[in-house]
Amino acid sequence: MYTKTVFLKDTGADTEERTRQVYSVFIDLIRNHNLQDQVQVVRVADIGIYNQGIVIEILPDNVLYANVKEEDFSRIIDTTIKESKVIEDLLYKKPSKQLRIVLRNCGRINPESIEDYIAKGGYLALKKVLLEMTPDAVIEEMKKSGLRGRGGAGYPTWLKWKFTRQVTAEQKYVICNADEGDPGAYMDRSVLEGDPHSVVEGLIIAAYTIGASRGYFYIRAEYPLAVERIRLAISQAYEYGLLGKSILGTDFDFDIEIRLGAGAFVCGEETALIASIEGKRGTPRPRPPYPSVKGLWDKPTAINNVETLANVPYIILEGADNFAKIGTATSKGTKVFALTGKVKNSGLVEVPMGITLREIVYDIGGGTISGKPIKAVQTGGPSGGVVPEEYLDTPVDYENLQKLGSIMGSGGMIVMDEDDCMVDIARFYLGFCVDESCGKCAPCRIGGFQMLKVLERIASGKGKSADISLLKRIAFAMQKASLCGLGQTAANPVLSTLRYFENEYKEHIDERYCRAAKCVELLNYTIIQEKCKRCTVCVNQCPVKAIAGSRETGFSINVDTCIKCGRCFEVCKFKAIARK
Amino acid sequence: MEKLTPQKLEQLHKQKKQQQGNLIRVGMSSCGIAAGAQQVYSVLKEEVSKRGLPVSVEKCGCLGMCYAEPLVEVQVEGVPTVIYGKVNPEVALKILEKHVVSKMLVNDYIFTFQVE
Amino acid sequence: MAKVIKAKINGILLRVPEGTTILEAAKQVQIKIPTLCKHPDLEPSASCGICIVKVKGSNKMLRACCTPLEEAMEVITHDPEIVEIRRTVIELILSNHPNDCLKCARNNNCELQKLTADFGINAESFPQFLRDIPKDISTNAVDLEPQKCILCGRCVHVCQNLQDVWALSFLERGIHTRISPAGDIQLADSPCVKCGQCSAHCPTGAIVEQDHTARVWEALQDTEKYCVVQIAPAVRASIGEAFGYTGRNFTKKLYALLRRLGFKAVFDTNFAADVTIMEEASEFEERLLKAEKPLPLITTCCPSWVDFMEKFHTDMIEHFSSCKSPHEILGVLSKTYYAQKNKIDPAKIVMVSIMPCTSKKYEISRSEEMFASGYQDIDIVLCTRELARMIKQAGIDFENLPEEEADSILGEYSGAGVIFGATGGVMEAALRTAHYFICGKDLKNVEFNQVRGLKGIKEAEIEIGAKKIRVAVAHGLSNVEFVLNKVRQAKRDNLALPYHFIEVMACPGGCIGGGGQPYMVTDELRIKRAQALYEDDASKQIRFSHQNPYIKRLYEEFLEKPLSQKSHQLLHTRYKARPTYRK
Repeated sequence: MYTKTVFLKDTGADTEERTRQVYSVFIDLIRNHNLQDQVQVVRVADIGIYNQGIVIEILPDNVLYANVKEEDFSRIIDTTIKESKVIEDLLYKKPSKQLRIVLRNCGRINPESIEDYIAKGGYLALKKVLLEMTPDAVIEEMKKSGLRGRGGAGYPTWLKWKFTRQVTAEQKYVICNADEGDPGAYMDRSVLEGDPHSVVEGLIIAAYTIGASRGYFYIRAEYPLAVERIRLAISQAYEYGLLGKSILGTDFDFDIEIRLGAGAFVCGEETALIASIEGKRGTPRPRPPYPSVKGLWDKPTAINNVETLANVPYIILEGADNFAKIGTATSKGTKVFALTGKVKNSGLVEVPMGITLREIVYDIGGGTISGKPIKAVQTGGPSGGVVPEEYLDTPVDYENLQKLGSIMGSGGMIVMDEDDCMVDIARFYLGFCVDESCGKCAPCRIGGFQMLKVLERIASGKGKSADISLLKRIAFAMQKASLCGLGQTAANPVLSTLRYFENEYKEHIDERYCRAAKCVELLNYTIIQEKCKRCTVCVNQCPVKAIAGSRETGFSINVDTCIKCGRCFEVCKFKAIARK
Repeated sequence: MEKLTPQKLEQLHKQKKQQQGNLIRVGMSSCGIAAGAQQVYSVLKEEVSKRGLPVSVEKCGCLGMCYAEPLVEVQVEGVPTVIYGKVNPEVALKILEKHVVSKMLVNDYIFTFQVE
Repeated sequence: MAKVIKAKINGILLRVPEGTTILEAAKQVQIKIPTLCKHPDLEPSASCGICIVKVKGSNKMLRACCTPLEEAMEVITHDPEIVEIRRTVIELILSNHPNDCLKCARNNNCELQKLTADFGINAESFPQFLRDIPKDISTNAVDLEPQKCILCGRCVHVCQNLQDVWALSFLERGIHTRISPAGDIQLADSPCVKCGQCSAHCPTGAIVEQDHTARVWEALQDTEKYCVVQIAPAVRASIGEAFGYTGRNFTKKLYALLRRLGFKAVFDTNFAADVTIMEEASEFEERLLKAEKPLPLITTCCPSWVDFMEKFHTDMIEHFSSCKSPHEILGVLSKTYYAQKNKIDPAKIVMVSIMPCTSKKYEISRSEEMFASGYQDIDIVLCTRELARMIKQAGIDFENLPEEEADSILGEYSGAGVIFGATGGVMEAALRTAHYFICGKDLKNVEFNQVRGLKGIKEAEIEIGAKKIRVAVAHGLSNVEFVLNKVRQAKRDNLALPYHFIEVMACPGGCIGGGGQPYMVTDELRIKRAQALYEDDASKQIRFSHQNPYIKRLYEEFLEKPLSQKSHQLLHTRYKARPTYRK
């Protein structure tokens, strides 16, 4: 039986090679001290520490050393392993940047077991609310907590519940919006799959607070596992008397149904979502009246995002004051981000509001995959914008991101390096919005389309100098005259990239040059004569016979014939084709 | 299943909180399944049942370390609890053999060991 | 009493009842906020984005057509920014619209054209792109040209919610959105009843009545042909709108006009309305007293209603009056009675009718009974809008024409005939004569106010002799289901009949609100048009169909008596169940 375990990794190296070498050295020393039966030494794959040289963690002492040199090994064995004492100058405090509230149970419990959830304190918040709190008291608690809608709008949750509660009606509804549609965002999916009961509990508490007797989960059909886990959670809750009539023996009745989305991003917008549940075409309606007053089937309805609801049981049990201690003055609590793109550790991170983008991307994310410097971080999905490198030290909260021209959004965070073209990014997001536009209002339907055409022209080298002001003109009209958030924010990625990277647009237009080498039509392929061995492989591979010349005089690519397919670039073994 | 009263809920909570035991958790959310967790889970369940090992195999959600999926957490008495990442069926069997049976950690696959 | 709120628009203080939209409130201080997709007759769809206004204290711009003015709101309706955005939106819409104004039926009468002109748009800032969607002329009554559609949604709203037909819907999404029957089929294969309400509300040339004026010009110029014409009651009350007059009755000038155009005989559908009453009141008397066929009796002058019933309410076919519409009756009589009396070869007669609807274009070939004369009883149907265009093409100073009379043999009408054009009119006319047929004496008070007006379903009880006759009048097809369900329930539960006699008009307001009538109809306009007809009735000496001397002559000389064999052969028709979706 091992009494001590030593975890070991060389975090300064790129390959496992170094770690193996270091491991052998350490193991030898252990053998020398005849400790091989008491001490287990293990090579780890990745423990969230980067560029701190050799890192060693010793259990059960819970001691973490970093920037260890091989010369220190003996010292460590003598002091910490043999005598369980700490070596101060090697100690390393691993910054724990993440704070898991929404994801508190994800990965810690079996999502298909209600008893696992109860073991972790599940439904105790509901019990407290039903037995000890009035709806107004719940609203007061939510107000103190400062929780704001996590779907992207950041509307104060307590206020939405208050407005819906205030309206008198014989029927009210609550809806959980699980139509998460931002490309690259999957926070809600993970919560629904990993801890479905937390959302169910949050929805029941919401229903009690506003006086709703029926609720809906609107889940996009592209999330079949989430649908299945929620379906199972709901049926388990019914079994245990946590849904249905007389919940927990009180006089509160509440029923939940699941409705599936059918492939429309716009149905994440609350009035379009309502139309969809009503069986109508999923298009938005003008507001006012707001859903709190006239929502589903014209009844008062409160619609909340998955992440918002997952916070609710925590706030009730741990107390609003404790929740409000986390975050900034205007943005309380944590936020789950889907960190993706050119980052080493892509995945979900949950951090307190106020943490900087740099901390998220470097300390948690491990920096860029390529090692190249970050160009910008895109936040907020198709409604958001880019935050360039120089603003990475901005503390993340709703207001700060807005000031920078982006938004918090639902939590998508995409890391970009110099190989990402800003015009291409804008075109991608706008293309998404044009695809997903419901088509009801002219500014979004036609404006988005025309804007996309301009961007496509710019990206293919046919841009005109008046294009930038044309883009801005359409963007302004879309922002002000579109019927819903999709149209109103579709121009954000364009405006944001124009704000910080106008030079890239100008390069595309004036110089027909794409510095990230992303826009295919702008790429020029030329032969680097010094490297060219005149092997004629590229000549034979070219599908349009654009390469001509001879072994004596050399070869060149005919710019007019070249279709920029990139074949020559791929096949040249001597890297003699230049692409820029 | 009887419908819970507030008291029964409280009781159930206290009762389930205590239960521990040897446990293997496999990340079975979409990120894990996309990376191949379904096969890992099946292999582990089969093998544990076949060999009658004193450990239960369960699903769990997404830990957030999606870049390291499939993730497998192993809690065995007498061994520090760790989470293995980038596990495939071969590695899964190795984990059973080394970690569960021989109570020795497996090299090169650990992604985190400090789990609350 | 609605609460009154105070607010400011463009700095002007005003007081309005709570709930008034910014658009309506602005009118009270003489501010016209431009709109495009909003029709005064319909609920706002909030799609075009032209009516946006600024509200102090908010970054957003709101749509004036659907946003209620709130207490202490300060609204700005026009400033350089707002106007610039409106221009951009109009230009965007134009970039997706064909530049076909000169060849379009809506030239000079198009809401998009007017808005563009008002804004002084004289540049094409955006490249034009048209959707590749073919025209649909399958119904021969209402033509769809989806390339011109600006997706205002009015037609879908009207067809789905007001008419309950659901022939039109939105298909696909985003830039590919278009109007089409569900399943992307031709309109003729859909539940469409050709009522034309879609075309009456369309702001552009995307949905228009199929234009048959060219055929009429051709016939008029053909020396071999003997062209005759009939005008429907509703036309006389609304043709004036094309020349700036509302609610004015142009009957006698219309007769003069039609003769000037070249028609050899000018008839009036009102005469045939009187014939319809003779036949239908007799039917009612029979069903009431002999009970061989069941009550309630349901009117059938409206071909859209007939089509709707044949598709959606086939269980009610036995209740339908077998009598044709006045339109068709006049058609068949012109090629038989009139032709014989005046020794004209019916093969040479071209019978043109001017109707307030598009549905009649479909009616004329609906079934073989529409050929009862041995020829197609009616050759061409024009709607009011087409006539207005013809008048302008013919270069006639319509409003100053002298007044003339119709050709009496098929032209003289009683007051009961003219009120057919308003909802409740058929019922009133029928009751006037039914009373006489059943009791043997005329009513003293001939005006039935309970069946007049724009309420969707009107119910009344009238005493005819010892019997209490219960009637219902419905207009707008969405009101039909309620009435019919009451009848069905009574039949099921063996209760007393809720109604003995039911009148249904497909178009809201009755024929005066027809799908072929001048654009921009509102309830106010419907009332004015109906009022002109009621005034015509009140001014008449003869207000009962059975007292019309020309009607008496028709029966004496030609038909013998109502429901005679000849009547049945010429003036009656049959119905059958039709599929809602063909193929």
